[in-house]
Order: sequence, then structure tokens, then C-alpha cells
Amino acid sequence: MDVLGDGLIEALRLLLTGDEDTWAITGLTLRVSLSATVVAFLFGAPVGIVLALGRFRGRRVLLAVANTGMGVPPVVVGLFVTVLLWRAGPLGALGLLYTPTAMVIAQAAIAAPIVVALTATALQQVDPDFLLQMRGLGATRFRALGALLVEAKLPLLAAAMAGFGAVVSEVGAAQMVGGNLAGETRVLTTAAVLATSRGQFALAIAFGLVLLFIAFVVNLAVTLAQHRQGATR
Amino acid sequence: MSIGCRDLRVTVGGRDLVSVLTLDIPAGETLAVLGSNGAGKSTLLRALAHLGTASRSGTVLLDGQAATTAQLRQAIAAVLQRPVLQRASVLDNAAAGLRLRGVRRGEARRRAEPWLDALGVAHLADRHARTLSGGETQRVAIARALAVAPRVLLLDEPFTGLDATTRTDLLADLRAALDEQNAAVLLVTHDREEARALAQRTALLVNGKIRQLGVTADVLDAPTDLECATLLGFTTHLPPALTGRATTLVARPERCRPLDDATPPPMDTVVIEGVLRRVVPLGGAVRLDVDTTTGPVRAVTTADVPTTPGSPIRIATATEHLRECPTHDPSST
Repeated sequence: MDVLGDGLIEALRLLLTGDEDTWAITGLTLRVSLSATVVAFLFGAPVGIVLALGRFRGRRVLLAVANTGMGVPPVVVGLFVTVLLWRAGPLGALGLLYTPTAMVIAQAAIAAPIVVALTATALQQVDPDFLLQMRGLGATRFRALGALLVEAKLPLLAAAMAGFGAVVSEVGAAQMVGGNLAGETRVLTTAAVLATSRGQFALAIAFGLVLLFIAFVVNLAVTLAQHRQGATR
Repeated sequence: MSIGCRDLRVTVGGRDLVSVLTLDIPAGETLAVLGSNGAGKSTLLRALAHLGTASRSGTVLLDGQAATTAQLRQAIAAVLQRPVLQRASVLDNAAAGLRLRGVRRGEARRRAEPWLDALGVAHLADRHARTLSGGETQRVAIARALAVAPRVLLLDEPFTGLDATTRTDLLADLRAALDEQNAAVLLVTHDREEARALAQRTALLVNGKIRQLGVTADVLDAPTDLECATLLGFTTHLPPALTGRATTLVARPERCRPLDDATPPPMDTVVIEGVLRRVVPLGGAVRLDVDTTTGPVRAVTTADVPTTPGSPIRIATATEHLRECPTHDPSST
């Protein structure tokens, strides 16, 4: 109990006194995870749109693949990305392994299926005649699609945030492709693991609290967005 | 601007859902397309607007010239059967058609406002669209379409699901709103009264084909075949074997009345005999289902029924309410 109590007090002290390392790690975590989310959204949202609106053979299989992708363990993604970026691997020449860029790639790969699946779900929840009605009012295909995305903006925001929530809290891929190098690729999750293994519980708890806070903010935003959507349904 | 089509066909699985050889609606005219469920009314409307993904062939004309999809988008505003409003305020919804055509938000809202007023929903302008009743939603959807000042307005059963009072009010408001525009209007409906209230001409659509087309009052009162007769409410069919006439006679059930045994047949009536199968209460009236030698016949009356089920009954229809109706030969269209 003392360990936990003392750890909590020390953690709060570290955060409130602006411990440089803690905030640097937090900054890198946010930078990497936000970048990965943006990349995942840029690639995943269009795929989700095609899967939601397209009528082609294999669409349901691809949707099932995206849904399955939501449950792929980060450590498996980390393994694949590591192999790809390994010095002797297909992309080894780029020299990206153990860099924040490698972590962005791995985390984007983790978030992309989430964004794809939730984008498709978001658009499928809109009235099936929505696009037809917009076209019937004179909209071009492009403008009608724009109106559809605006109509589904809150679920789309939730999709992006779910992607962010998944990557900011994962540790397996970040550890494997980032290597947890101090000042370079150390993020909150890998730092917490390291601190715990060294018995620095206060530090580990501080990292945990920051992670919890970020997770809370993300979930609060998603919940508020969903409630606003529900209230106006 | 007029809209029309030549040999317009919509095909699904090798079957023609709609096949209209020729149709023209001049500017300023409202044409009602009357048909039963599944007749192809909505499919025809969507084909005219090049909406949807159904396989389509033939030509849609604007002012007599073959029109491209882009030209149709510019000319047409369509109100679908189930109004789809955006997750926004009523005013923003009314302005949505203009916004989708590239008009700036402020300007679009300014131009849409009078149409909310014309449709009687101006007081709801700031309300969220999802809080509206069915009738209010439909009014906003119509205001949204009218706000773009369409040269062609397509209305797909805009009164479906509305209560009688709301429907009557909306019919009146829509009539007034249409009078202010010089648009060619296509009204798809299954309701004769809507056609009578709004349309100068009416087309009867049966199995995807136009069977009758003419001035609304004439079409509604003079079916040319049995299917059109049924569509127009002439559901009492009296075949030659029953009347001794050369063709089948049709009448509205409410024009057929029972005779008691003591009453001699009035002048200028056709009287048929049968057995009363059952009496179906219809609020203030009753429907009599009568079995005859050629099949069932129905009559609706507010008078006392002179007999009980299982007993013989005579049904009289004045000749002025009867229409001659040859059986339709599908190969003739």
C-alpha cells in the first residue's frame, strides 16, 4: 500500500513540478500517436467510404477483413513492421527502424483497420437514401459525398479517436519498432514498462496517470460526440 | 422548361420495371402519375432524374432536347417519398439544395426563408430537423426543393403517412406554392384525390407502362381497361355474362346499392343477382360482398341491408355510374 501511496504522491509531484523527462516522453507519445492517427485516417477513411458506398464483389469480405484487423494484436503488427524495416528487410535501406517514423508506421497500421471499419459503419448508419436525395437536389457526386461526410462527422470523429485511443495505449509495436531509446523513441507505455522493471514505481505511475488522462480525454470526447449524435437522431 | 422522355426503360434482371414510350410535361403543368404499389412510379421518377443505379435506357428530354445527367441535375429538384433531412436546423435544411448548388450559406438561407413561410413552417426555422413531426418534415423537404427554383420538380408521394388534416393543409399550401412557379411538375401518387387537387393531367401507370394519359378529370372518370378501372376505384366489375351487355361494365362500389325484394328495379339501372356472402362494416357504411355466377362483386352502402349472409340479394347500379371497359390486352401496348 505504501508503495502505491508513495508512488502516487511522487507521480503527482513529478507531473506538477514539470519533470522534463516525463513531459518530453508525453510530447513524443502524443506526436507519434497523433501522426499515426492522421496517417491512418488519410488512408483508412477513403477505404471505409468505398466499402460503405461501393457495390462490388468482395466488399463484405473486405469489411470482414477490416473488422478482423481491429482485433490484431499490436505485437503482431510490430513484428511485421520490424521485419519490413530490418536492415536486411525489404525496406531496410530506408534506415527507419528504431525511429519515431517507424513507430508512426506501426501505429498507423494498427489504427487503419479501426478507422476503416468504423468509417464504413458510420456511413452505413446514415439514411440509405441520403446520397440519392442530395443528388436529387442538384448536387454533383462530389458535393453529395461531402454532404454525407458532414452528416456523419461525429461518428467519423469517433472513428479517428478510437484509432488514436488504440495506438496511444499500445506497447508491443512501440517497443519492437522503436526500441525504447531514451530521448528518441521512448513513449509513455514503453517508459512505464521500463520504469516498472527497474522498480521505479513512482515514475511508472506518473506515466500511467498521464496515459489514463489521455485515454479519459479521448473517451470523453467520443462519448460526448455519440451523445450529441443520439440526442439529435 | 419542359421535361419528357422517349422509350425510357428501366430493366432489372432482364425484366422491364418501367417502359414508357413517350411522356411530355410542359413548363407550368403538373402531371400526376397514378399507380398502385409496385407499378413503377418511383422508378419512373428516378429514371427521369437519372437518379439511382438501376439499368436505364432511352432518352430524357429537357425542352425537347436530349439531356445529360449534369443538365438534369441543374434543372431538377426531387422530393423523395421518405423525406431525408440533414442533421441541422430547419432553415439550414431548407437552404441545403441551394448550398449543394454552390450558393453561399447566408445567401442560401436568405433565399430559402420565404419557402419555409410558404409551406407554413417558418416558425420552426431554428428547430433541429430531427425534432420535427412527419408532416413538418415533409413540408421542409418540399420547401428545400422549391427554394432552388427548379425548372422541373419531381414529387414522389409527398403526402404518404400524413394524417388527413395535415395532408389537406399541405395539399393547399403546395398548390399555392406551385402556382408561383413555372416549373414542370411530376407528382407520383397512388391517391386519386391528390391527382385531382394538384394535376392538370394524369397518367395511369400499370406494370411500368402508361395505360392512360389525359386531363385529370377525364382520366379519373373514364377507365379504358379493367386494371385502370381498379386503379381508379371502379372495383365492381360486371362481366357480360352477368349483365348481358357486350363488354364488362365497371362501377365504384359506393354507386352500387342493394334492392329489397319488394322494390322494382328503377329505370336506367343494371341489376345483378347473387348471394350475400358477408357484410363488412366500414365506419358509417357497410361493404357487401356478393357472390355471383361469374365471381364476387362488391357494393358499399349506407342503407339498411335487406338480407342476411347466405341469402339472395339484388344489386342495382344506375347506368350513369357504369363505364364500359374492355379487358386489357397487354400485347397492345
